Amino acid sequence: MKKIALITLMLITVFTLAACNREDIGDRIEIEFWHMSPVGSESYSGMRRIVREFNESQEEYFVRGTGINFWDYWDRVNIAIASGNAPDVGYHTLDNVILRASNQALYNISDMIQADIDNDVDTIDTSVFLDNQLEFASYDGDLYALPFSATVRMLYYNLDLFHDAGLTEADVPTNWDELYTVAKQIDDVDGNTINVLGFDPSFGEGWYHQYLWTAGLDFFDEDLNPTLNTDRHLEILEWMYTFNEEYPRSTLDAFGEANEMLGINPFAAGRVGMMIATDGLYETLRPLEGELNYGVAPIPLPDEDGVRVNWGSGFSIELYDNGDAERRDGAWAFLKYIMDYDTQLDLADTIGWLMSNIPAMEAYAEGNEILEAFVKELDYAIDKVYVPYAPNWHAIDWDQFFQQGLSGELTAEQVLQQARNLYIEKRENYEAAN
Amino acid sequence: MAKNKQNKNSLGALRKQEKKLGYVFASPWLLGLGIFGAFPILASLYLSFTRYRMVGTPAWIGLANYRALFFNDSIFWTSLYNTLYHVFLSVPLGLIVGILLALLLNTRIRGIGIYRTLFYLPNVVSIVAMSLLWLWLFQPNFGLINQVLSPVYNLLDMEPLGWYRASNLSKLTIVLMGLWTAGGSMIIYLAQMQDIPRDYYEAAEIDGANGFQQTIKITLPLMTPSIFFNFIMGIILGFQVFAVAYIMTQGGPGRSTYYYGYYLFDKMINDNNMGQASAMAWVLLVVTLIITLLALTLNKYVFYLGEQD
Repeated sequence: MKKIALITLMLITVFTLAACNREDIGDRIEIEFWHMSPVGSESYSGMRRIVREFNESQEEYFVRGTGINFWDYWDRVNIAIASGNAPDVGYHTLDNVILRASNQALYNISDMIQADIDNDVDTIDTSVFLDNQLEFASYDGDLYALPFSATVRMLYYNLDLFHDAGLTEADVPTNWDELYTVAKQIDDVDGNTINVLGFDPSFGEGWYHQYLWTAGLDFFDEDLNPTLNTDRHLEILEWMYTFNEEYPRSTLDAFGEANEMLGINPFAAGRVGMMIATDGLYETLRPLEGELNYGVAPIPLPDEDGVRVNWGSGFSIELYDNGDAERRDGAWAFLKYIMDYDTQLDLADTIGWLMSNIPAMEAYAEGNEILEAFVKELDYAIDKVYVPYAPNWHAIDWDQFFQQGLSGELTAEQVLQQARNLYIEKRENYEAAN
Repeated sequence: MAKNKQNKNSLGALRKQEKKLGYVFASPWLLGLGIFGAFPILASLYLSFTRYRMVGTPAWIGLANYRALFFNDSIFWTSLYNTLYHVFLSVPLGLIVGILLALLLNTRIRGIGIYRTLFYLPNVVSIVAMSLLWLWLFQPNFGLINQVLSPVYNLLDMEPLGWYRASNLSKLTIVLMGLWTAGGSMIIYLAQMQDIPRDYYEAAEIDGANGFQQTIKITLPLMTPSIFFNFIMGIILGFQVFAVAYIMTQGGPGRSTYYYGYYLFDKMINDNNMGQASAMAWVLLVVTLIITLLALTLNKYVFYLGEQD
């Protein structure tokens, strides 16, 4: 009996280990590709199929895809780059390509395109990408990455709540005055409890820098000196803080936090009439098709002089310089495949992201009113500037002060002053070390 | 005589062989320490004197990183203050709660094993789950703690406490939350309590000492080695506080829970400033070392059972 058990155990072990054997790739050159469709994710099998289709078409190269979830991806890829173990192909953030390009971590894409042209080989047509995205993928006049995805931020509005308030789609606000009027008509507040909130500038993807952009302002000037010190900067911040001033901050916090802690998207739950969000919210709302009556519109502008703009924050796709020419060529072949019209169309459907290949996205969106609006709005999407001395200027550097202003611990003026001082301090330290 | 010498020689050879074997058995750990421990530590010392943005090659800049931290980095001092506050509050409170729990659970009642397990259980809960749980409990508007305390608030005619959302209470909230895991040190205290000979208590009883006197005069003095151990470990771990703030408060409100470890993490991951992050790590090592050395002077008050004098 013991012998039978032992043999069974050994056989299980042998079969298990055999199952772990990696696919035999013969003498093909292995290319490593890191993406964000890990095992268990909805897009995993689709991404696997896309990679497999490339491998089936190849005799020279074999791409091994590794899916890493979004939250772990950044630390892993940054550490891999720092330690010289980066994948051959991977995603990164488009707005800081310059950091990696200027430190020789990336291959020069322009050179590869030129080599293809010289050798009369099919190459990537960069005219399919948005100019402003290509600009962020460039360093010193050359491309060091390609835009991979294209994020867009728009105003989502709940038509059911509009109708309840006696409003129609024609009332969707285009400027801040209208936004306020419509929001207040939608508000449904019962004592200290907010049932429905028309709009709050700080909810969802309502970023201060985005509002500044719509007013033709920014955090930094052209030389990357921090600004934040004009009356208009102050006015816009005060507008954000006082939009719902009739409700105590604790009531607004409780409303926001209840949604957050329950994992409910307040817009999806019909608790917010209007909210600025990325195209990602559309994917969240897809299962609710038919239940939630909503639309999307450009972010309202401060006034008639406002600038139509939204924060893009797309991903780049990059070829990491691992010093191996054969792998570089394989990575380039794979990059051409993945940026191809058909693959981009396939990727949009698989991952649910808007991809950077605009003709492919136009075809993908055709017949879908919301997707069409997103693709149209991409023309107005820009990435945030990369500030070497404060790469995280829009997040933790700014957010701590912003939150203190929101809670009333600091006045809007103090928020701007203290944030500006922090940027100046960071710049001085950066310059001292350079 | 010759036989004695021969015996000594063979004993020496045996010891030598044992030593060799010892090193062979310890070699995986020693190699691990050298490669995965000592090398990164020394590398970080080198990086602390360089400008290194996580890409490219580190460039030597001497003491610039240290100068920037000490003389032109307001958040550095804020984060250090927050961390010291946390250490000075959490360590004594952790000791007190751990000892009280151990004293409470050092009784012979039915189902004592279950009680001990229950108090130890929070230590095996993932820190993420624990933080999210306490986030719910401490939520100022609908959290259970403020609901329970609402009669007190009404009685005193005061606003409910903001806990982690109030910058004057956020650090305390995290300390209070940490006390939930005092069961970890309780196990060590309990183990030591079980080691105290019964004779001492019997003798004290004969002399007329009551329970309280026995605790003060026998139990606590004989527990000092484990109290001292937990004290030192508490200081070292206290300086590394990070995950709870990262999950619960994101360093806020107003950087009130922006601890040293959190700032170091941000310097590296978000600012791509590995050089300054490494310098911060070395400053932390020195601060921890100084405070630990100061704490070690208390060793003279520790009573080791079985030790002469």
